[in-house]
Amino acid sequence: MPLHDVGYRAWNSRRCGPSATVWVIAVTGIRLAWESRWLRRLVFFAWSPAFLFAASFFAFEQAVDEGRLTALGEGAQVGRNLDGVGMLGTVLADALGGDPDEVDVESTRRLVWTRLLLAFMRSPQAILLAAVVGLVAPTLISRDLRAKAWLVYFTRPVGRTEYVLGKSVILLLLVLVITMLPAVALWLMGVLVSPSVTVALETWDLPVRVIVASLVLAVPTVLLALAYSSLTAETRIASFGWFATWVACWIAHAALTTADVVASVREQQAAAMEQDEPRLPAYRRANASPDPFRSQFRWLARAAGIDARLDRWAWISPYHALGAVQAAIFGIDRRPAAWMPATATLLLMTFGSLAILAWRVTAPAKA
Amino acid sequence: MTAPTVPIPVRLTNVVKRYGRRTVLDGVSLEVTPGITGLVGPNGAGKSTLVRAILGLVQLAGGEARVFGHDPYRHPRRVREAVGVVPEDECSVPGLSGVEMVRYAARLSGLPATEALRRAHEVLDWCDAGQERYRPVETLSVGTRQKVSFAAAIVHDPAMVILDEPTNGLDPIERRAMLGRLTTLARKHGKTIFVSTHVLPDVQAICDRVIVLARGRVRLAGSIADLTRPARPEHHLTGTGPLDRLAEALTSDGLQARVTASETGPLIELASPRPDQLSAIWSAAQQNGVAIRSFAPASRPLEQVFVETLRQAEQPNAAAPGDGLREPAGGIR
Repeated sequence: MPLHDVGYRAWNSRRCGPSATVWVIAVTGIRLAWESRWLRRLVFFAWSPAFLFAASFFAFEQAVDEGRLTALGEGAQVGRNLDGVGMLGTVLADALGGDPDEVDVESTRRLVWTRLLLAFMRSPQAILLAAVVGLVAPTLISRDLRAKAWLVYFTRPVGRTEYVLGKSVILLLLVLVITMLPAVALWLMGVLVSPSVTVALETWDLPVRVIVASLVLAVPTVLLALAYSSLTAETRIASFGWFATWVACWIAHAALTTADVVASVREQQAAAMEQDEPRLPAYRRANASPDPFRSQFRWLARAAGIDARLDRWAWISPYHALGAVQAAIFGIDRRPAAWMPATATLLLMTFGSLAILAWRVTAPAKA
Repeated sequence: MTAPTVPIPVRLTNVVKRYGRRTVLDGVSLEVTPGITGLVGPNGAGKSTLVRAILGLVQLAGGEARVFGHDPYRHPRRVREAVGVVPEDECSVPGLSGVEMVRYAARLSGLPATEALRRAHEVLDWCDAGQERYRPVETLSVGTRQKVSFAAAIVHDPAMVILDEPTNGLDPIERRAMLGRLTTLARKHGKTIFVSTHVLPDVQAICDRVIVLARGRVRLAGSIADLTRPARPEHHLTGTGPLDRLAEALTSDGLQARVTASETGPLIELASPRPDQLSAIWSAAQQNGVAIRSFAPASRPLEQVFVETLRQAEQPNAAAPGDGLREPAGGIR
């Protein structure tokens, strides 16, 4: 018998409420997930794009400080690499609208920062989010089903809502750590390196937009990942479902968009033939855009919302739907045709996932 | 001034539960009162569903369930705060050590962080879990896992503990220790213990009452003493020597006695004698050269009661619940 064995004793103190239960599930889940070496590597890696974007912020503010924004704009127009990684030139060329002589620092800064933040959240972070969530989420419920750990929860004062919320908070925190936190840190760094003392007041809404955009990014994706996890006791099947959704929808979007481009090229060719204009082939005309950002870093241009063409198939792919809604949140593309179908997709994802979770989470107990 | 009414831990009235077309619980009515109650029944009798109904995990198709006065389906939180469960299936959160598992269970039950850790160590000490508690649960032996599971069920000091096959996989020493803990909880701490098991000797050893469930119906319910008492009151006498001669002598003295065979050897069945006849029995034994080894009220083994009950339940016109296969007055209190 252990020396400190005091036998069985009664306990009558005050119990914590359901919110504490959510937090307990979340903290324990994060601790267990963090034991994965791959997750630790991925989260640290997920911060690396922030350093590249920090270089863009720094180069821009340095140019403002040294009064050479006009020269920087000229460089951007001819497609020079301004920050060592090419992002600033891409964004700045668009922000200056082809006229580097009349540079309004405040409005240019706002546009450049907004586009850089949107590009940061869209292109590297949203993809890394898929990887991080794909690593953690499939185990969260499916492993509970396999190890019958659901009995640990539902034989105690834990409801379905607390369980799902607890599991969601695990993913939400991870997602926010790799999206919201570095984006807010980028804004903060911009404020710190800026020569203007009022820059924080001028751009106060950007961190708010970052937070809203991060939540829009996090909530549907987290719920979708948990729904997949709840559908099977096999973690690998849940992982496959998650990644297959992203990849298959991406491919479907690319195929439909390409079909649109091909159709539009044919229409242009037909129109040209009617007018009997001796022109370059349409595909070459499309590539002969004078804007350097169109040929350089096309992915960034699209992510930053510089490509003004309406993406009418964005709703079909979660990645592109998230991008369309985030662009609206950042005030870059507020055309209803751009964000409304995408919002419908995200709402469908969210409520569909909630319905699956409500059905599946206590299903083993009812079987 | 009248004493406050303490709600009965579990009261089920005509509970019906169906999975599709299959009726798993068919008008189950029972009460579980403080003390130790055993729930026995063959596989597929509906024991696990009954436990789930008590915990509010399943919605009933009919009838009423009350646990400490609360509807478990509508107010599961209140019910589960008052109940601790040791499931039959090994269930744990992969990656947690034994003590972390118990602490996690305590936290989920609403204990504050520091208190949860203190209680976890305290109940693990009481369960004699030793240093094994620091190993991941999935690497523990069956016995230690059972201790951890039991500790997790009682860490929040529930008023009632439900155990599904609590002695499964335990060696004889551990089994005795587990039964001892259950007895201590019931007798010393006033807990209501509800044990679902196939091990009838365990039920006979610790339970005050037993419920036999078969084909979704309560077939038998009552105290162990009542259920194992034979239909006619009688005593059994065992001894060495010519038992048949002793039986003849007792019969000639006006006692109804006959020699019969039992699993442990021949014995004399005696219609319960009056106190003034006892000295005649001792004298007759001495005169006929029989050394009496035991002389006690007859009782039927619980296993025999169980088998007979199931045999009756198997018959096509088996009595419906409440038809009184054998239900002593006062239900199964």
